[in-house]
Amino acid sequence: MDCSIQWLRRYAAPQADADTIADLLTMAGLEVDGMARYGQPLDDLVIGHIEAVRTHPNADRLVLCDVALDPDTTVQIVCGAPNVAAGQRVPVAPAGTTLQLPTEKGGEKRQPITLEARAIRGEMSNGMICSAHELGLTSDASGIMVLDDEAPVGMPFVEYLQAHNIAPTDTVLDIDLTPNRPDAASHMGIARDLSALTGAPLHRPNADLPDEGGSVAERFSVSIADADACPRYVALCVEDVEVGPSPVWLQQRLERIGLRPRNVIVDITNFVLHECGQPLHAFDAATLHGNEIHVDTATEDTSFTTLDDQERTCPAGTLFIRDAERPVAIAGVMGGADTEVTEDTTTVLIESAYFDPSHIRRTAKALTLQTDSSYRFERGVDRDGQVWAAARAADLMVKLAGGTRVDGMIDRHPSPPEPRTATLRPARANALLGTDLALSDMQAHLESIGVATEATGDVLRCTLPTWRPDLAIEEDLIEEVARLHGYERIPRPERIQIPARIADLPGSERTHRNEARQLLRGAGFREIYTNSMLPLEVAEQFNPHDTPVVETRNPISREMAALRPRLLPGALRVLQHNHNHGQDAIRLFEFGRVMRRATADEATQVPGTAEHEALLIAATGPDAPRHWDRAARNTDVYDLKGTVADLLSALGATAQFTPSTHTPRYVAYALNVTADDVALGTLACIHPDTAGHYDLSDAVLVAELDWEAVSRVVDTQPGYQPVPRVPVVERDLAVLVDADAPVGPLLDTAKDAGAPLVQQTDLFDLYEGKGIPSGQKSVALSVRLAAAHTLTDSEIDACMDSITSALQRTHGATLRQQ
Amino acid sequence: MADPIAALRAELEAETITTEEEAEAFRIRYLGRNQGAIPDLFSQIGQQPPEERPDFGRRLNALKADAQAKLDAARERLSAEDAADTGTDLDLTLPGRRRPPGSLHPLTQTLNEILRILERMGFATYEGPEVETDWHNFTALNFPPDHPARDMQDTFFVKDTPPDAPTLLRTHTSPGQIRVLQATEPPVRVMVPGRVYRNEAISYKSFCLFHQVELLYVDTDVSMADLKQVLYQLAQALFGQDVRLRFRPSYFPFTEPSAEVDIWWADPDHDDGGRWLEILGCGMVHPNVLRAVDVDPERYSGYAVGMGIERMTMLKHGIDDIRVFYENDLRFLQQF
Repeated sequence: MDCSIQWLRRYAAPQADADTIADLLTMAGLEVDGMARYGQPLDDLVIGHIEAVRTHPNADRLVLCDVALDPDTTVQIVCGAPNVAAGQRVPVAPAGTTLQLPTEKGGEKRQPITLEARAIRGEMSNGMICSAHELGLTSDASGIMVLDDEAPVGMPFVEYLQAHNIAPTDTVLDIDLTPNRPDAASHMGIARDLSALTGAPLHRPNADLPDEGGSVAERFSVSIADADACPRYVALCVEDVEVGPSPVWLQQRLERIGLRPRNVIVDITNFVLHECGQPLHAFDAATLHGNEIHVDTATEDTSFTTLDDQERTCPAGTLFIRDAERPVAIAGVMGGADTEVTEDTTTVLIESAYFDPSHIRRTAKALTLQTDSSYRFERGVDRDGQVWAAARAADLMVKLAGGTRVDGMIDRHPSPPEPRTATLRPARANALLGTDLALSDMQAHLESIGVATEATGDVLRCTLPTWRPDLAIEEDLIEEVARLHGYERIPRPERIQIPARIADLPGSERTHRNEARQLLRGAGFREIYTNSMLPLEVAEQFNPHDTPVVETRNPISREMAALRPRLLPGALRVLQHNHNHGQDAIRLFEFGRVMRRATADEATQVPGTAEHEALLIAATGPDAPRHWDRAARNTDVYDLKGTVADLLSALGATAQFTPSTHTPRYVAYALNVTADDVALGTLACIHPDTAGHYDLSDAVLVAELDWEAVSRVVDTQPGYQPVPRVPVVERDLAVLVDADAPVGPLLDTAKDAGAPLVQQTDLFDLYEGKGIPSGQKSVALSVRLAAAHTLTDSEIDACMDSITSALQRTHGATLRQQ
Repeated sequence: MADPIAALRAELEAETITTEEEAEAFRIRYLGRNQGAIPDLFSQIGQQPPEERPDFGRRLNALKADAQAKLDAARERLSAEDAADTGTDLDLTLPGRRRPPGSLHPLTQTLNEILRILERMGFATYEGPEVETDWHNFTALNFPPDHPARDMQDTFFVKDTPPDAPTLLRTHTSPGQIRVLQATEPPVRVMVPGRVYRNEAISYKSFCLFHQVELLYVDTDVSMADLKQVLYQLAQALFGQDVRLRFRPSYFPFTEPSAEVDIWWADPDHDDGGRWLEILGCGMVHPNVLRAVDVDPERYSGYAVGMGIERMTMLKHGIDDIRVFYENDLRFLQQF
């Protein structure tokens, strides 16, 4: 919301400059987001009288003006304005004046220019006759500014401006209004806070408030069919208006806050809206069929052309203002093209209503049309501000458009509300704020913003202002007290209290997550954060679940229509990005939530959607930085398998890997990762075609774990195993098996067969070739044996024999003869 | 008789010292307390004619100083040479075998720093779902239906959920307040970190998702003064003891009174030498929120805080485009 300081000062004029005012408002909850300064000092300008206009001998578009600057001095000034004429009183910048002039006609950019007496096309010009735009007063650059005929020649121009309510300079505050403060969506509303903050008296202009009934009520009829949507409708009538341009001061007011002046009637309704916050609508009364106004909600979709000449389809339920035959305005949002005020209008019907906020909000949302009017109605205008605003507008129409008020007023107000009240307990306020304010202080703060208070016992009974719909309960009053007292003045206590009982909440995942992050960082992986939203087709392509992916109803774009069912697609994009930016070795990990639709009978935290935390680890390209004595090697599945095993082991879980037999098309091969028979996730080598689609040529290895499953299997407090005090025995064993036999199971078999003595079995060599029968390979294991006592040779031999025979029995392995 | 001092000086200056052994031999030969040539000459002072004794003594002292200097210089040189001897034929200047470098995302680092500070102040961690119910995200937090406050947070709604009870992507971590208070009785002192979503145009200053930490403390006699103190402590731990904060009235449906907090950020390019930057929103928990989860607002009060992690991280590191966090360029990540 734009707020002109000059305008604001009409209602509250503290001894404070614009910066101070901005600061005061910000610290009282009306946050000033920006400040724009307009205009310039015009101290050197005087009012001149154009005594004669002569043709310029050397230029068709220029004329020579004899301009009297005072009774004794007449100078020649060259002028190019189309509207220049003898007899005009005009603002003149005499030679020697410095002005911030637009760099081009009507343009925004300005630069300082000192006017000098100089020849223009051979004719002397002793200054400049200025347009309102050149002076920075309004945007009117169509010609020179023509003043009243009575304007005294030689008078300093600033005195003339002052007498006409025009300020040469202004500062406009851009206030970021919170939705709870519709009362501050006007200059008087902001002035009310400023007055409360500074003590400067609040001045409300007088308006001639008419009585209900009278001629207006005889000429027009108003009925409200939906009093929930329109609790009050006030109408006034002004006739014999002349619809021309507004006076400069009014145009300036509107332009300063970013509005385009249109005609005096429309400008007045806009002015009053921004003065007091009550939106008004002016109908050309002659266009209203039957001199009737009906306020009713539409029962079906209705096509309607608004005054911006847009034809809009308004859904059933839209609140309309209708005449005898047709809708004439979308209530609270925008008027219709057919009944708007034009230059031919002579009689104006002023509408000043209170519309229900949620009705207006639904309509404005349905039409995606937010206007100054709907903005205020949907937040709640002054419940009792309609009559004053209508009367104020009528007064201005009389004054500025030469109109005559039709006596009386129509005020349809089926059920006026009772005054709203609330009680403030000062003790409660001090307890909640941590302050020690006296009841009288609180009372003074509340009174200063229009809350009527009555101290009863040790509480304050408060009657709430009709313009503060946000105030309803005690806490609201406490906030007002705190706001006006100043949040900055709330003291900070000496110590921080911590309750003795801390709720036991499920949060252990985070601890493991951070531990895992540190481990992965140490293992040379970089953490990434990727977008949770993906193109639908990508999400579906990679969806690993049995249920569909989750889509949003209103995505920003097709690129973000679905929620990630897993972390893989996001990681592939990151691999692609980095590969295409010259990186070959890329090792990444990400923690993030992934989503899927829940099955019909699935109990999930949020109905219909299941989400869980996932961890992704991905690697491609060289496995380590290039080094002078180590051959470069690309990351392969064993690297990532080791990473996953190390990670889980460090967290206290033992990972098991089983080759997957059914893999999706984008996977070349994969392993299922489990621990304690709990499925944790998969480790996959992405299919080269899919990798290639992401511009990746080296093998891409990706592990994805369900972090919630991992959290269930990690053992944070493992039981203690006594350390054997006797020597551990190590034996090596080499067997021959078929060249294509999987080796992993041999290790398990050896360990099982040697239980309980076998502590560990390690594969330390795999060999095919010379010395090994063709079609076979040698598998060399080292076996560590231990017990609580020193093992005898016969115990060791028996154990090794049982291992050998188990390998023979289960895998057809034969002992390799040394 | 030949000058014994001159003779000894000539002899001494002709010596070369190339090893530690030679240095020691030099010391014994010339400076040794018992048989050293110079102490020996000192003992002969008495045998000199009385008029020559002062000169003899002076010259002998000079010789002794020169001998000591020669020895010291030699030893220093030898010790330097000794250092260059590695005792191995390996080229120890060759680069070591390094592992690929890893890193934590800057957002993780900021978040963890904040959580660590708050943990010290007794806050437990809770995490809620990112896909939320409308009730948790809005209704229970005192957002009336059809209220403009809902526009403050442009919301992504989940497809195929009932229009009257839609599911959505949480727009803030505040539904965590509701879930915690549903799960446990006051006193409650928790922080809720997590990812939140806003349906806003993507630009250098806004992304469709970001991260927040929510704080909630509900207990008997919790005041706004307590809230200020905790936030000062947090800001001082994050930004230093001299940090300047500013508490301004603001509006959130779920707090009353509500505040926004600005931090003074020094900026030499700025006219005032710096500017106020908004870093978080906070306030006293609205009684309607407490009522929604069956907590008696007459008995309990509380404060709530929501702060953006991206914003803090951008401030700390001088990052001016929020999108870089989600691009994951290694050249960006390796800086943290």
